[in-house]
Parts: sequence; structure tokens; C-alpha cells
Amino acid sequence: MSSRPLFIGAVEIGTSKITTLVGEYNGRELAIIGHGECSSRGVIKGAVVDYKAASECTHSALEQAERDAGERIEVVFLAQTGGHLEGFYNEAAVNVKAADNMIDATDIRTVSDLAKAKELPAGRMVVHHIRRPFRVDGRLVPGTPENLVGQRLDVGYWTVHGQEQRLADNIHVIRGFNLEVRELVLSSLASGHMITTPEDRQHGVLAIDLGAGTTDYVLYRDGSPHTTGVVPVGGSHLTNDLSIGLRLTESQAEKLKLRFGRATVQARDKADKVWLDGNFSIGDRQFPRQAIEQITAARTWELLEVVKKKLGSSFSPETCAAGVVLTGGTAKLAGIAETAAKVFGVPAHLGETPSWVAENLRDPGNNTALGLLYYGVSAQHERAPTARRRGGFLANVKRLFASS
Amino acid sequence: MNPPASHLTPTRHWKDIPQQVSPRAMSSEGRRRVLRHAVKTIGLGLTVAALAWGAYGVVSALPDSSGKMPGSVKSAPLHDLVLVTDGVLDQPWLARTLAVPKGASLMELDLFQLRGRLLASGQVRTANLTRNFPATLAVTLAERMPVARLQVQAGPDDRLTLLVARDGVVYEGVGYDPKMVETLPWLAGVTLSRQGGVIQPIAGMAAVSDLLAKAKLEAEHLYAGWRRVSLERLASDGEIAVFTQDGLTVTFGTNEDFFRQLANLDAILDAARAHPEKALREINLAVGGQVPVAFAPAATDPVAAPPSRTPASSPRPLFTGLHRN
Repeated sequence: MSSRPLFIGAVEIGTSKITTLVGEYNGRELAIIGHGECSSRGVIKGAVVDYKAASECTHSALEQAERDAGERIEVVFLAQTGGHLEGFYNEAAVNVKAADNMIDATDIRTVSDLAKAKELPAGRMVVHHIRRPFRVDGRLVPGTPENLVGQRLDVGYWTVHGQEQRLADNIHVIRGFNLEVRELVLSSLASGHMITTPEDRQHGVLAIDLGAGTTDYVLYRDGSPHTTGVVPVGGSHLTNDLSIGLRLTESQAEKLKLRFGRATVQARDKADKVWLDGNFSIGDRQFPRQAIEQITAARTWELLEVVKKKLGSSFSPETCAAGVVLTGGTAKLAGIAETAAKVFGVPAHLGETPSWVAENLRDPGNNTALGLLYYGVSAQHERAPTARRRGGFLANVKRLFASS
Repeated sequence: MNPPASHLTPTRHWKDIPQQVSPRAMSSEGRRRVLRHAVKTIGLGLTVAALAWGAYGVVSALPDSSGKMPGSVKSAPLHDLVLVTDGVLDQPWLARTLAVPKGASLMELDLFQLRGRLLASGQVRTANLTRNFPATLAVTLAERMPVARLQVQAGPDDRLTLLVARDGVVYEGVGYDPKMVETLPWLAGVTLSRQGGVIQPIAGMAAVSDLLAKAKLEAEHLYAGWRRVSLERLASDGEIAVFTQDGLTVTFGTNEDFFRQLANLDAILDAARAHPEKALREINLAVGGQVPVAFAPAATDPVAAPPSRTPASSPRPLFTGLHRN
């Protein structure tokens, strides 16, 4: 067990804001001791387009978090999103080698390597290999199949890959602060881990993180991630639609969206109008509430439809018994759960931040950064089985997850 | 058949992206952190160097004993055997007795075993063997000196002469001058016993040795004529009988001072020379101040009475009242 605490920074470089949390792992538990936030600049749809601007605000958030924590961050877990991220499924099977058909570690390693060995197009790099449960002679095995008896071992991996330059840009923003990026975690996995329970994931659940520039989703089946994806459409597109439809500036449209936007059309009276500012200042004007709701609802419906379409056959109400869970800044849009339930045909609700999270961090917009800390350390653990056997840092983190 | 997983081309992972970044691409805080890290590293390096220098200083200040230590020497095949002895044993005897295999290195020698071989000869009292690297074995011996000799029947027609040391050890003498051996008196009246093939030491030889040594030193003219020493009555009566070349039997008592007895004997023999017509046959010095003597019967007087069969009772005292102290 580590006696010296490790200070981990969880950084989410989002389209609208950059969030940083500082976690202190002291060998038994992970405590969140610092929080920093900064309005995002130089980032569009999750991709860094202005290195200098993005670096400045990211570093500002990091400094703020370090000040808040009173400690220096040692390593960073970085959230990754963007339209460049794609995924595919590849599976492999091996015949069990042993004469007595008992599966050993070599069989598992062989089949895993085969399933992960698909070549990527030029300029693409793997971000995650997400393993689906093993199958022994077609029988689902929730844990490890080692020492089970069977003739054939199957496994499949959902591989998430991204464009090398985009990944490098994000990493270099952090390196510009002289910090090492220890772990790169898909935003959907991070937030999905926070807003779903192990039971939800076992029964099947779709977690959707509606951000400003992108919408990240992850579909869980049989307790593990089954499919992930990113739709490069988010809350900023709703703002943009309002801006165009109502002939407003971006900031005015954002203001209206936050105050009167809905994912369902509730206003029946076309004459019902709302003030832009409501403070009787010069330039303040009225807009039909129904028009606002129609624009935001239509865009939201469309967005969720895109997610459903991208999921394709992976999603079905039968395999998603726990329904849809929504999070992210855009999930604060009124009536969005109702819309999601209609689109997907399953119950939907807003994700709740676990009760042990401090009050000031219990905002849907922080779920990704929170999940980063926890999912990041558990992912590291899975890649270092020897460390687990030795009962080191990662083994303790895994135990922490098992008990939560 | 499963495809060999080892032949698969590994896919590129995000961790393959180099994380080095030029200082120009860093923010001011990033550069500050780099500087802080560099200062910390340099500080740590300096601290380590200072500690190392301090440790070196302390070690240097300690008394240097390394110069006094001899360098290690490799063992070579045995080349020289050096013998140091206080007796007569010589180099060939040593080589023959040790029987060291040819080409054996010094470290291969079992000194304990070699010492055993040397001590198996009764002539050697103590033996010290020392390895002198690289190829010399030094042997230091202390030898026994013979005080008497005896003859044993080794076979039907084979008589063997053995030597007896002061401590009673019986051994075959090697290297002695035969003339010296000829001067040693014969031992008689002893029964030799063997244990484990080895003749056991003769008991009471210390007293005999004292007598012989004193005689040789103080009255060599007497000792020169001693031919046989009998220990027959040593254990029972404390008497040592000496037979001279003149046919005289002198009995010494171990309870009396040998010097005084020798002086008595010398005086008696001097007195007897004044009466050459009477040849002495027996002198008993073991009974104290009164010394019974017996004369040989006169050959020229056939009618004279025959001498008594029991000399101890029949001889009449020649010198009476002889008291030296």
C-alpha cells in the first residue's frame, strides 16, 4: 500500500468550459480536494483549434484547482471527446489448447490479442479497447474464464480510435503545463460510470452526455460497455438554431435557451411571448415562447434520433432494461427525459450524481471530470494485472470500486 | 488451429504519442514548473554529491589498514618440503613418510592427515605442518631420544632391535648413528603389549631414564660398562637391576636418590679394587645405608666353600656405616 498520497488531476477540455478536479489517493480512498473551472476558448466540438487559447484556459483551470487543493498535481487523467472518435467491434475465437480443455492464461491472452489486432487506417490511434464478456462454448462468462472447461473461447473488443493529431493536441495542452498525461479516458465512459449503477449496467442502460459541442453516449450491456459513440452536435447547436431562427446573437440565443428552452413543446398559445432580458433595458424585445420551444425541441429530438440511429441494432428496448440516463450541461433542458423516452421507447431520467459527491460538485456538467478520476484509475488497474497481484495502488482502487 | 498471436502487428496506441513538448509551447506556469523541477533535481543531485563527498572524507580519514593486508596468493603445486627437526630424521624420510601425490597443490593437502602419518612413527614426538604459499610445506618435528634398546622376536628367525625413549615409547629408530645405538643398554624383564597393532609404552621408564641419564652424566666410567638393565622387580619392589660387562649385578632402588647410590657404588668399586683377589658379583644399593655385596667364588681355590645361593642374605657387608648424608 502506498504511504505517500498521489495527486491526480482530472481534466475535461469541453467546448463550453474546461473542468479540472484534483483527487488525492492515499492508499485507501480517493478524495476530491480541488476544483477549477474556466470558460473554454479555442475548442470547437471537443477539438482544440487554437492551441494557445485552449492552453491558456486549461492551464488557468489547472492552477485554480491546484490553489483550491493546496497541492501540486502529479499526473493527469484527460477526457477525450470529439467527432473524430470512432469505434468498431472485432471478435476472435480460439480452440482451448489443453488436453483437458481447461482454459489457461495463455488461451485468454491469445484470444484477447487476436481480437485487438485489427489494423487501423493511417493516422488513427487506439484510445480504448473495451472488452465485452468472454464466451466459453457460447456461454456468457461475466468474469475471467480461466480454469473453466470448454472447447472454444470467444471474446470481442469494442475498439475506440481517434485521429492522431487531435489526440496529440489535447495531450500537448496538458504537457504545456509540464504534467504527464497518465490516462486518456473517453468522456462517455467517464460520465457513464458516474451516473449509472452496476445494476443498471448489468441490465442494460444507455448513458448520454449532452455537452455543448458534442453528445457522447455509451451503451452498457451485461455489466460492461458495449458500444460508445460521439455525435458532434450539442447544446451549442441549439443556441445556433435559436440564433438563426430568431435572428439573435449567440449570447442572446444562449440566454433564451437557458431561460425558456425546452425539449418538448409545452406552450400552446402562440401569443405567449417572453422578454429577451426582462429588465426593460434598451434593445430588449419579445419572442414567442412557442417558437423557442419548437426550435429547441426539434433540435433535441433530432439529436437523440441521431444517437439512436448511430447505435443501430446494438440498441433495442429489450436489451436496455434500465432505460436511458442523461447528463451533461444540455441535459438541464426541461423535458429532455420525456423526449428521450419517446425517442428510444424506454424509460429515461436525468442522471444523479452520487450522494457522496460534495454539494458544490453536484452538477451534471461535472460528471465527466468526476468519472475520469474513478474510471481512469480502474482502467489503469485492468492494464496492470501484476500490480493487482502485488496488492499495490491499483488493487486498492479496484477494491474501492467493488465496494461502491 | 489457433493463429499465432505473436505474429500480430500491434496497433498504435495513444500512449505512443510522444509527450515531449518544447518550452515555447509551454505556458508561463508550465515553464515555471519545469524550472522548479530542474532546480529540485539539481538540488537533489548536489545533496547526493555532498553526502557522497562527506562519506568519502570520513572513509579517507579512517586509518587505512588495506596496505598491511597481504595480497591474495594463488595456491600452486607443492614444490618444496622444508624439514626442521631437533633429531636425526632427514628429508628423504619425510618425503617417504608424507607420500604427497605429485602435482598436488598446497591447498589440496590435508595437513591433519599428514601430521597423523608423521606421528605414526614413534620417533616423532610432535609435528607442526605449515603452508608457506605459494608452494612450500614446512614441517617442524620434535623427536624422541632413545635411552635404552630391546630386542623382540619378530619372526621365527627374525630378531628386531627396538629403541625405548624416556617416556617408555618403543619405536624403530631411524637415522641414528649405530655407534651411539651400541652404547645403549639392553632392557630386560619387560613384557611388551600391543594395542591396535602398536606397542604400548613401557611403564616406569622415567625412573630408568633418570638412572641412566645420571649415570651417563655423573659416572660415565661406570655407565660405559652397563650392558643390561632389568625392570623385572621395578613394579613390585621398586628395584632396577643393572648388569655390567664384568658380570657384576648392581641393584638400584627407586626410592633412594640415584646420585647417592651411584656415589656409593663408585666408592664400593674403588674399595674393591684394593682386593683384586676377590671379584664382586653383586651389589645391592636399594636397601639404604647398609650395602650388601656378594663376591664371586675364587676360581683358584677349589676347596673353598661354594658361594651362597641367596646373595641378598649371604654377602657380608664390605663397607658398613657408609653414610653420605
